[in-house]
Amino acid sequence: MVEWKFDYSDLDKITENKPETGPGVSEKGELCGIMYDDEYKEIMRVFRGVLSLKEKSERALYATEVAILAVPAFYTAWNYRFDIVKALYGDSGDQLDRELDWLDEFTLANPKNYQIWSYRQAVLKVHPKPIFRRELPILAAMLDEDSKNYHVWSYRRWCVQFFGVLDEELTFADALIVRDVFNNSAWCHRMFVMKELEVDLAQRAASAEIEYAKAKILIAPQNISPWNYLRGIYNGILGSQFDAEIVTFALAFAGDVFDAHGDASPTANAQSSFALEFLAAIYSQNEETAPKAIAAYNALSSKYDPIRKSLWDHKIARLRT
Amino acid sequence: MARRNMKRLNFINGSLLGRKRVVTEQIHLEETEEQGQSEVDVININMLPETETVCDREEVIRDCQELFDKFAGEAHDLMADFHERYLLWAFSDMLPPQMKALEASQPWIIYWIANSLKVMCPGSLTTDTQRRICQKLLKIAEPDGLFAGGQGQLPNLLCTYASIAALALCDNVDDCWEQIDRKAIYNWLMKLKTPDGGFRTCLEVGECDTRGIYCALAVAQMLQIMTSELCQNVKFFLIRCQTYEGGFGACPQGDEAHGGYTFCAVASLAILNEIPVMNIEQLMEWCSARQYNEEKGLSGRSNKLVDGCYSYWIGATSAILEAHGYGDCINKPQLREYILKCCQSSGRPGLRDKPGKSPDFYHTNYIALGLSITEYSFEAKKGPDALVNSSRILRTPETDLQPINPVFGLPSKDLADIIIFNKDRL
Repeated sequence: MVEWKFDYSDLDKITENKPETGPGVSEKGELCGIMYDDEYKEIMRVFRGVLSLKEKSERALYATEVAILAVPAFYTAWNYRFDIVKALYGDSGDQLDRELDWLDEFTLANPKNYQIWSYRQAVLKVHPKPIFRRELPILAAMLDEDSKNYHVWSYRRWCVQFFGVLDEELTFADALIVRDVFNNSAWCHRMFVMKELEVDLAQRAASAEIEYAKAKILIAPQNISPWNYLRGIYNGILGSQFDAEIVTFALAFAGDVFDAHGDASPTANAQSSFALEFLAAIYSQNEETAPKAIAAYNALSSKYDPIRKSLWDHKIARLRT
Repeated sequence: MARRNMKRLNFINGSLLGRKRVVTEQIHLEETEEQGQSEVDVININMLPETETVCDREEVIRDCQELFDKFAGEAHDLMADFHERYLLWAFSDMLPPQMKALEASQPWIIYWIANSLKVMCPGSLTTDTQRRICQKLLKIAEPDGLFAGGQGQLPNLLCTYASIAALALCDNVDDCWEQIDRKAIYNWLMKLKTPDGGFRTCLEVGECDTRGIYCALAVAQMLQIMTSELCQNVKFFLIRCQTYEGGFGACPQGDEAHGGYTFCAVASLAILNEIPVMNIEQLMEWCSARQYNEEKGLSGRSNKLVDGCYSYWIGATSAILEAHGYGDCINKPQLREYILKCCQSSGRPGLRDKPGKSPDFYHTNYIALGLSITEYSFEAKKGPDALVNSSRILRTPETDLQPINPVFGLPSKDLADIIIFNKDRL
């Protein structure tokens, strides 16, 4: 049975004559009723008791903790907990920090949970002196465990905007890209940083980002992330003005696709289907180079990425009309 | 072969024994020469540096390849009767104690199971079961008419979608649709609405992302309580979620493009009749890039693994684009092969994410929906109430999957019925 830190026996009197309904109660013949174990039933009985009184106390807070540990996705308990925290702690930074400590520990044990992050945002919003650095260790620990955890990356971006601190983000994303060059979440975070910059700053930073992506492509040419990133930088920041240099760079991974009638060796296979897609997008920009785009789409369709044939056919059809 | 063994050894070192190799070396030319001798023409992923991403994917490719080899040349059908057992069991017995993790998602369990049955085994959702569905869900909505994760829980937007969708499957048994309090739901939806066009999942601590928008709009459309106030600013929120990759993220803060959030955004724009406001070409590129030559299934993000549930999230997004005349951006026959050969196993009923994973109700539903999409082509009717028509492009000998509406995740007929019913209630 549950070892409670507080006494809840008075609650029994309140619920005594009421029919038992709610979390932890399965009615007879109920569709998809759950066979709750006794411990769970007890946890929820106490939870229903404090909730029915809307009690804002340390023991109520503890009851929500026990309920949340039993069912992390129990949003009703998260909401109630937030009401209690506001009532008990008001705007005391020290006490709200304790709540964040508790949350850190809970988060490490429940990496896939949705509720934690919106709850954490709510706590930071009522905190008198929230600190960006306070948020970093838990985020780093979570990404160390699961480097593409969607909620964690999303929360990190929320923090960056909430606190207005952008300085560490490129370094942070870089460390994860160094660890795994295919980590698209980290690439996406880099793009977030670029979009957060003022337009002229972003334009000045763009050439360094292009070099960065190119260096990573050299490590692994068949990697969609840096190619998408390159396109994103050119289209989003540089007005879709692709320069000759980037075309030459991409051509190095295109094999003999663009000189099929030339004297290239027959084994000159492309090293990256994404390079072909990248070049095709550039070549589609004007009529003169459109035939090259069609050549790339044909090569993708017949050889390098045939499962996506309907897209390549669609692209070719657009170029021909 | 020697090289492959080397790769296996590296995998064991890296993933099983936790020895992570720092990857900085460049691919040398002699390695790429092997490409010419490989069995498939597509660029072989064995050429890539062995990071976590590559090692994980190599595992999946190997598992899928084993199954493709095993079933080579066989016409492999959906084992609908077998899966039906799994679904009916859940409706006849109590769920085991570990299912308490879904305490706050009870309408979802019901929607997943009932919908899977209706799509795969029409006729097996009996009037008696429909009655029990209505009883349970309408009881959750007492006393204020708002749906929640279960009795005694706070009203929740995502659970409201699941509840209305599940009720839509009940053919208005016992006039249950009459008992849905549309006014209460509408007023509550307006309270969940945020100034930037989002919807919180509940009051007051609730996530605000494209899922909330989708659930709000789908519910409003099914119940025919759509107003211009409800839709105010919604499309601007959605436009800001489309990323440089072409898909949509959860929130307009540069979140990564993701299959689930993309579906929610695109289906929402379809309900708003605003498909052209997004960058359609880039969305098509992104959707198409989710399908991998080796596994044939769909992934949810760039450089992530295939997962059967994206057969719906991406498959439906593609079907919505197809319905609006933009062409098909996924390979339906190949997706079918992934579903039929890799997402089911004669050892255990129900559908699964990928080989080696256990089936569950969530995957069973979304994979069944995805499989249905592969059997039909889609066309949208014009006009503000645009509904999607599907026409059959494939008939399989053993099964007869119901046509589904890719915007709402329901069999087309059930969706049309509840919309017509509510239209007449006005």
